[in-house]
Amino acid sequence: MSGFTPDPANNDGRYPGFSTVGQSKHWDAATAAVVMARLGRAVDIRFFTPVEEAAARALFDQLLNQHDEPRVPVVNLVDARLTEEETDGWHYEDLPRDGEAWKASLAALDAETGARWGCSFALASRTQQARVLGEIQSLHKASWHGFPADRLWGLWTRYACTAFYSHPWAWDEIGFAGPAYPRGYKNLGVDRLEPFEVRDARPGEDPVRKPGDGQ
Amino acid sequence: MNAVRARNESAWLLPAGPGTDERLRRNMRGYADGDEVDIVIVGCGAGGATLLQRLARAGWTAVALEAGPFWDPERDWVSDEAGSHHLYWTEPRIIAGTDPVPLGSNNSGRGVGGSMVHFAGYAPRLHPSDFHTFSADGVGADWPLEYADLRPYYEDLEEELPVAGERWPWGDPHGYPHRPHPVSGNGELLLRGARACGITAKVGPVAIANGRFGNRPHCIYRGFCLQGCKVNAKASPLITHVPDALAHGAEVRAEAMATGIGLDERTGQATGVRYLRHGVERFQRARMVAVAGYSIETPRLLLHSTSKRFPDGMCNDFDLVGRYLMVQGAPQTAGRFDAEVRMWKAPPPEVSTEEFYETDPANSYRRGFSIQTVSPLPITWAEHVAAQGHWGAELRRYMSDYPHWACLGALCEFLPLAENRVTLADERDRNGMPIARFSYSQCSNDRQLMVAAQHVMEQILTAAGAAEVITINRYAHLVGGARMARDERSGVVNRDCRSFAVPNLMVTDGSVLPTQGSANPALTIMALAARTAAVLSTGARRGVLTSVKE
Repeated sequence: MSGFTPDPANNDGRYPGFSTVGQSKHWDAATAAVVMARLGRAVDIRFFTPVEEAAARALFDQLLNQHDEPRVPVVNLVDARLTEEETDGWHYEDLPRDGEAWKASLAALDAETGARWGCSFALASRTQQARVLGEIQSLHKASWHGFPADRLWGLWTRYACTAFYSHPWAWDEIGFAGPAYPRGYKNLGVDRLEPFEVRDARPGEDPVRKPGDGQ
Repeated sequence: MNAVRARNESAWLLPAGPGTDERLRRNMRGYADGDEVDIVIVGCGAGGATLLQRLARAGWTAVALEAGPFWDPERDWVSDEAGSHHLYWTEPRIIAGTDPVPLGSNNSGRGVGGSMVHFAGYAPRLHPSDFHTFSADGVGADWPLEYADLRPYYEDLEEELPVAGERWPWGDPHGYPHRPHPVSGNGELLLRGARACGITAKVGPVAIANGRFGNRPHCIYRGFCLQGCKVNAKASPLITHVPDALAHGAEVRAEAMATGIGLDERTGQATGVRYLRHGVERFQRARMVAVAGYSIETPRLLLHSTSKRFPDGMCNDFDLVGRYLMVQGAPQTAGRFDAEVRMWKAPPPEVSTEEFYETDPANSYRRGFSIQTVSPLPITWAEHVAAQGHWGAELRRYMSDYPHWACLGALCEFLPLAENRVTLADERDRNGMPIARFSYSQCSNDRQLMVAAQHVMEQILTAAGAAEVITINRYAHLVGGARMARDERSGVVNRDCRSFAVPNLMVTDGSVLPTQGSANPALTIMALAARTAAVLSTGARRGVLTSVKE
């Protein structure tokens, strides 16, 4: 499931042929401008240093299972937020402000793989990267390189998910219909779809009862 | 002219269909800083805008200073989650305590209309029991007023927003001016599950017009209520009270960040508000000052307003400013269905139950919780899924199952605790003003409520047919921080929202709530502000206020 096939004709996911962008003629101008910009050229990296950028790319590829092109440009979207200090409006007392926390935690990832395998996080193997992340996650509230592990994990996943699930390709993958103004919805209720919505083609891929190879 | 229009013409002053009242804004009255206006109000949200509209109608010269922008919904708001970041108060704040509470998108708005611009739309009343929880249950606090004091204002505001819903059987039973909305898959499943469990659930109460209201159009069920309603169907003061205020000569001065309240050391009276606008520090003189910046910014402004008389912050003689701040415990439980729910369709607020609102002596905890539909959009839903520990391929797989999930949220009545408070941090914002440090730690009653509410939500979803349920613990709303009380040793303001320490200083926002019930606070904040306005406009011409005591 890594990588995307942005051409809806070749969309072989659970909602085959569905494309939110295909509905963009029904969107208002302000919304279309904001959403379509995400499909344009990704903005240049300004906040992360090259070393930080490499670690961030590897981290986001792991967190979002994006190992092939085309990718949602998560590293660029996060970098833009941090450049513009578009924070969530709070930071934990035991973590610095978001920008600083990002820089310090990416350096800590490099320090971790450096000490264990003599390479940066970006150059560690995918298995090694995943192992480090799995260990950090299982620390819960305990400290990792001086940070409360759960808060660092929260910071990483919050920024990663906000960037990834703001992108129309991700919406197509999850069946979300996207912006809905000024058209709105007419068919409300369980199992009631609008004419333009596409039903789940593989409802058996229920992640709950049929755990797949990801677990 | 109908009664609501005679009281508040806002819905008729807007253009027919979506859009903004450009002519009203262009012709808005403007006061000079040197003009001593009757009242300057800090903040133009639920409390500030309601007070502004009422007092402007009563003939007061009134200015509201709003830190954020004067929104144009067509231009400034989008049908998009990530693109709505500018609706939230995102200036830096520090969160601390054993249970720190995230702010920003979670509970803090900015701009004309305040947090109601991005609130879901639930507009329930408090119950009569909320006003004396200490006498009845030995927890919380007794208010210096009773439910009956607020009832007429609840009724007025339910008409002005307007609120749609079924006849409400809980608390003080009452009806709503607009009929209940049709429900989507998520609401349908809450109703189905509740029925199977023998729990009463009702459609509403939501501040979304069902049918045309003045020039405001019908809801189109697009589901982006939390991103600001471009349709003008969901209520926020931007469309429910500001237009009428402007038509009656009020000024809304946007992009004006208050930094201090002026005090005359000789008379002990407030003289106006110091504020920054477009990089310039200015001072608006006023006969009376009302602070309505909500539970974080109101205490911050009071604490930052120091003088010889108030070395520890204005009205802080008894170390009460910033204390007894509350959030509601708001666990969200989602259930997986074979059918497609597509919970993002239709407004997230649809159906609720207040069956568990009151104290049940059989429980080991006091007070209770309500349960409502919530319908997270993809980014918020991803946060929910990631909180289960999923990442990488597993996260993507869970997310691809999105159409099959329904989601409920609880509001648990957390108790007011002195140590849950706002203080000033050493860190400063770009204006050089110390930022707020917000500390939160739950008590045992709070934790028990979270568990009980999750259990009921799991029961309801399972009874509706969910094969699996997952829960994320989170928090919603803010109230308290400058609470009302009978005397100055128990609270910052009296029953009329007038501060005990400075006779011409009011606090008219959610900060004044001594307890919170399990109700979304917007309607109560508006009702309190409307009541304060009625008290003020009745006694307005009595001359200069001199007495500290009632």
